[in-house]
Amino acid sequence: MNIIVTVKQVPDPNTPTNLLTIDDAAKRVLAPAGIPPLMNGYDANALEEAVRLKEQRGAKVVAVSVGDDGARDALRRAIAMGATEAVHVEDAPDLDSSSTAEVLAAAIGRLAPFDLVLCGRQASDTDGGQALFGLAELLGLPAVSPIKKIVEVEDGALVVERITEDGTQRVRVELPVLLGVSSEANQPRYPAMKGVLIAKRAQIPTWRRPDLGLGATERRVEVRRLYVETREARTELIAGDSPAAIGMRLAERLREAGLI
Amino acid sequence: MGPVLVVGDAPRGQLAPGSFEVAAAGRTLAEALGARLVGALVGRGLGPAADAFLAAGMGELYVADGARYEPYSGEEYVAAGDAIVGACAPAVALFPHTLDTREWAARLAARRRTGLVTDCVRVAVDQNQVVMTKPVYGGSVIAEYVVRGVPQMATMRAGACEAATPGTVGRIVPVEVPPVASRVRVLQEVSESGPAGPRLKDARVVVAGGLGVGGAEHWHLVEEAAAVLGGAVGASRAVTDLGWVPSAHQVGLTGTTVAPELYIAIGISGAVQHVAGITRAKTIVAINRDPDANIFRMATFGAIGDARAIVPAFVERVRQLRG
Repeated sequence: MNIIVTVKQVPDPNTPTNLLTIDDAAKRVLAPAGIPPLMNGYDANALEEAVRLKEQRGAKVVAVSVGDDGARDALRRAIAMGATEAVHVEDAPDLDSSSTAEVLAAAIGRLAPFDLVLCGRQASDTDGGQALFGLAELLGLPAVSPIKKIVEVEDGALVVERITEDGTQRVRVELPVLLGVSSEANQPRYPAMKGVLIAKRAQIPTWRRPDLGLGATERRVEVRRLYVETREARTELIAGDSPAAIGMRLAERLREAGLI
Repeated sequence: MGPVLVVGDAPRGQLAPGSFEVAAAGRTLAEALGARLVGALVGRGLGPAADAFLAAGMGELYVADGARYEPYSGEEYVAAGDAIVGACAPAVALFPHTLDTREWAARLAARRRTGLVTDCVRVAVDQNQVVMTKPVYGGSVIAEYVVRGVPQMATMRAGACEAATPGTVGRIVPVEVPPVASRVRVLQEVSESGPAGPRLKDARVVVAGGLGVGGAEHWHLVEEAAAVLGGAVGASRAVTDLGWVPSAHQVGLTGTTVAPELYIAIGISGAVQHVAGITRAKTIVAINRDPDANIFRMATFGAIGDARAIVPAFVERVRQLRG
């Protein structure tokens, strides 16, 4: 089985709000220098799923990332976790979804044939969650997301569980297919020392737009403005002699406020 | 210029409240642009839902109704969406933000070679541009986007605007959708939502619990508080990861984003991802042992102490007050 996993390097999603700054000229959000970026959480879930398939059934797992040099860190991490190889496609780190899909599709087209493309369901920077569908459209693949479980691997098909608004769908999809993996699927492993050493020595090729036959980027979504909105409520603390008294007083206060 | 298209959401033939919110956003936008408002619905057994949605003030309502749309399949919905966009050539297309539109609106945008902004809290005209606004970076930063392409597409977060009031009633236009060679087949659907309670994303009251509830054996406290207030049960990701409740209850950027009148957070510290899912809640009440918990930064009312002692007294008092 040939599996492609797309990964993206993002600012740490637990970066405290007040440490993010905005570069108005470039219309970019800048993470603080002291908090290193990391592999998008759902992408780590997608990669973990791929590595498990590799371990259980034998598979070649190729990790692909679009971005500046930071993308290489995500790819080294991917190899450390068990990816067979990795490809870096050099481009701006803040492409819009359709441009990202275009670049990924061109790169993945070169890696054909493949059976499965695994992506994170969305990335924690803008939580757009649509590059994967643009990618599926360009590759002509069916796409199913968000996936909480790969239930069965059949000959030429997969049975997966997709999360719905009020539960789960069990879906059978023909290969090749693109899946958007959610955090319910697994707990991504922490790379073992051996993996880290392999990743350190791994050759990660860099492909550029002209190599892929791509011209200038045409964004379909442009950032107009970024700003910080502070929501600081002045919390009214409910007083009481005991936890029970606080609980009762809270009910009364909410009643007074017309909330219940 | 083409019309503003608002696409409703009608799972199992039931029109979801988010449909009227999107209709309202579309109506305001259409007025600002001097464009017509049209609607669309995709699903099965849409008769009553179509009549209800049509009353939200649209000239035409394009309807793709058939057995092929239930259970939901992304391929079928994209085909329907593509046929609808072909039929009415909209300048702008708005959708409620759901796990389904996340799939098919995104795929439709790619098929139409246009841009989409997902999970918007506002879509408005400013300086002759349609501006889509959404929180990014876990809600810390607000981003305004402009879409290049036709139609300009956005999915809108539940609670982003007030539901539409009735307007002029137009006519229903059935849409022919070419057959799809489907490579995806739904084998089974399982609903995990609790009995009868309101849907999390539409609920006016949400009571959510986190690790501070103290264990799965105490989870009934959250459920009792939700029941006495007629609210939906929510949970932090930590709690759903531990399996105390199914992930369908997860509130946050990665779960459901909610916009209730009242959000009660019990034993939830307020991680960035969670807080991003409740920024549209009108009033937030935090019950937590840790006075420094992040959740207090956005709470209107705070109760500091052990949830296991506070909540039972709270529930009992609410019961008395409500007679």
